[in-house]
Amino acid sequence: MKQNLMQRSLNSQECRTNRSASESSPLPLREMDGTVATINRWLSRTIGRALAVFIVVACLSDCSGETDNDSGAASPGGGSEKLTICLLPKIKGIAYFTSCAEGAQAAADELGNVELIYDGPTDGDPKKQAEMIEQWTVDGVDVICVAPNAPDVVANAMREAQDLGVIVLTWDADGVENARSFFVNQATAQSIGQGMVDAMVKDLGGPDVEGDVVIVSADATSANQNAWIDVMKPALEKTKLNLVTIKYPGENASAALADAQDVIKKYPNLKGIFGISSVSFPGAAEAVEQMGKSGEILVTGLSTPNEMKRFVENGTVKSVILWNTIDLGYLTILAAESLAKGELKPGDTTFQAGRLGEKPIEGDNILLGDILVFTAENIDEYDF
Amino acid sequence: MSIADFMKRFPWWHEVILGVLLAGLLSVVGVVNPQFLNLKGQLLLSRHLWEFALLALPMTLIILTGGIDLSVGASMGMCAVAFGLCHANTGSLALSCLVCLLIGTAGGAVNGWLVSRMNVHPLIVTLATYATFRGLAEGTSQGESYSQFGDGFSQLARGMWWGVPIPAYLFALMAITCALYLSKTPSGRYIYAIGHNELATRFSGANVDRLKFRLYTFSGFMAGLATIIYVSRFDTAKADAGTGFELDVITAVVVGGTSIYGGRGNIGGTVLGLLLIHETRLFVSRQWQIEELRSIVIGLLLIGSLLLYRVVRPVHRD
Repeated sequence: MKQNLMQRSLNSQECRTNRSASESSPLPLREMDGTVATINRWLSRTIGRALAVFIVVACLSDCSGETDNDSGAASPGGGSEKLTICLLPKIKGIAYFTSCAEGAQAAADELGNVELIYDGPTDGDPKKQAEMIEQWTVDGVDVICVAPNAPDVVANAMREAQDLGVIVLTWDADGVENARSFFVNQATAQSIGQGMVDAMVKDLGGPDVEGDVVIVSADATSANQNAWIDVMKPALEKTKLNLVTIKYPGENASAALADAQDVIKKYPNLKGIFGISSVSFPGAAEAVEQMGKSGEILVTGLSTPNEMKRFVENGTVKSVILWNTIDLGYLTILAAESLAKGELKPGDTTFQAGRLGEKPIEGDNILLGDILVFTAENIDEYDF
Repeated sequence: MSIADFMKRFPWWHEVILGVLLAGLLSVVGVVNPQFLNLKGQLLLSRHLWEFALLALPMTLIILTGGIDLSVGASMGMCAVAFGLCHANTGSLALSCLVCLLIGTAGGAVNGWLVSRMNVHPLIVTLATYATFRGLAEGTSQGESYSQFGDGFSQLARGMWWGVPIPAYLFALMAITCALYLSKTPSGRYIYAIGHNELATRFSGANVDRLKFRLYTFSGFMAGLATIIYVSRFDTAKADAGTGFELDVITAVVVGGTSIYGGRGNIGGTVLGLLLIHETRLFVSRQWQIEELRSIVIGLLLIGSLLLYRVVRPVHRD
């Protein structure tokens, strides 16, 4: 096999005679060689023609492409007053970020002077995020909005961008402190934690309902979840609900399911389960459904509407808490534009955010603030 | 000597074609987007290239012998984890770098031993170690990522000396060494001989096994070196370091005119291949801002270059 391949690649007379001498059966090889030579001749003729055509076509399309791009891509640093803003999601192509991009595009259309570039790694690789930031920096864009997948990996690229005069802000997830000017924060721990407790109390039938509740979290070290739990504990003490335990199944769907099944068996007076990660929420709902307790034990928590639609329709879940992702994208682009024009400065305490009205700024966090509660009435209006 | 005759005998067709393609690309780019050719920007973005470039050197030597090393990317993952673990436990950067190089070299030696002593085809050997190394990296670190090695260390990949990125000096040194080794030393010439006819090379008295062992070990060492640059660039050591690098590196070597069957090619071609791929990538992602388009264009470039070489059919040259 190897010999045949080599003969094809070398294909010279001396080599052939050489090999024939050392080979035990030279005849079939020689025949094969003849065929190979014919194929080679035929290939080079046809490929030659095909390539000629290809090159001509490529040149033509290049020329037409050029004029297109001249009108479109003149903006980076150009004199037309147009701002180039890059929006970098954690992962491109998932419903959550696509809906953010929708809001961002709406903001760009509304502002008129913004060219929006929305691009990110399809596999969520933070190293690709870093390389894209470097590339945009060299391109001389005005603002880069980053949703870092791993803050440490992109930190150097973000700092370098700032050093070279690009405005960097973070959205959806925060980065390293000194690597960005502002963080567009979708919701505070306070509003999420309080929102979940309020939703649970309301869904169970009002402030007078008594009973046990449990929290199914992610890992014991998950920063977001722990911040929410810190808000939920005092909030629950003000109600007549009794928090009996907190489970930590990790980011593992089957462990979340098993933990939820355990607590359902263990606490007969259980009225509600908080599933406070996007894994534990559907896991807990699944457990309640499987054990035939839909309607008796309510589940609420944090997730995207599409994932929970099934459970909302069959009554296991009454409220899904999240924020408005479209507004998040919208607010990010407005803040970016305002920063680039110098209207938004460090130290400001409020930000005028177009159709969203006035948004508070806490330190260097621009707060989108309100959570969004998906219920049976409105969940079909959202698709992400 | 007629012109046709000259064209047939002219030994530098790969290099000329690559040079013309590169010049063509740069001039098209220069018209479309003059800012692209800005030297400062080019130097800054050159850091996307250096790890590939370092790995492409041993890969060229190995492919010249008719072999292949699919495990370089996975080997980087293993080296990165070794680096991170060592730094987490000792806090010493120098020691971490040393361990990183040692682990890489050891991994390469395993490849070399299996290829040369056990006589297994390099494709199978390195496919197996590709899975093993990555598995070891992920198993040992449990997906943990090690970070914050300090500003000084990240300057290794991001910093400049006299306006030139630091890894460029390293690459230049290694590339020149490899080129001289290949063209001026007896064992360098044997590499071509092995690619042409391994059996005949053995009969001529060359220690083929030892040479092969050394080449794969060298490849592992370079994976360790590339990992140090890589870790420094992202300030992060994680088991997924170098994922997919092996294919990009092989692509660069083949586009650079090295025959995948061995025996033909050189370091100069590989350098041109690297540049061509790097510039094409930069241009594509810059012009269209679509990340996925890069790999499509690289694939087309590889097919195109193979077809082109087929048409020109360069004369056999060592």
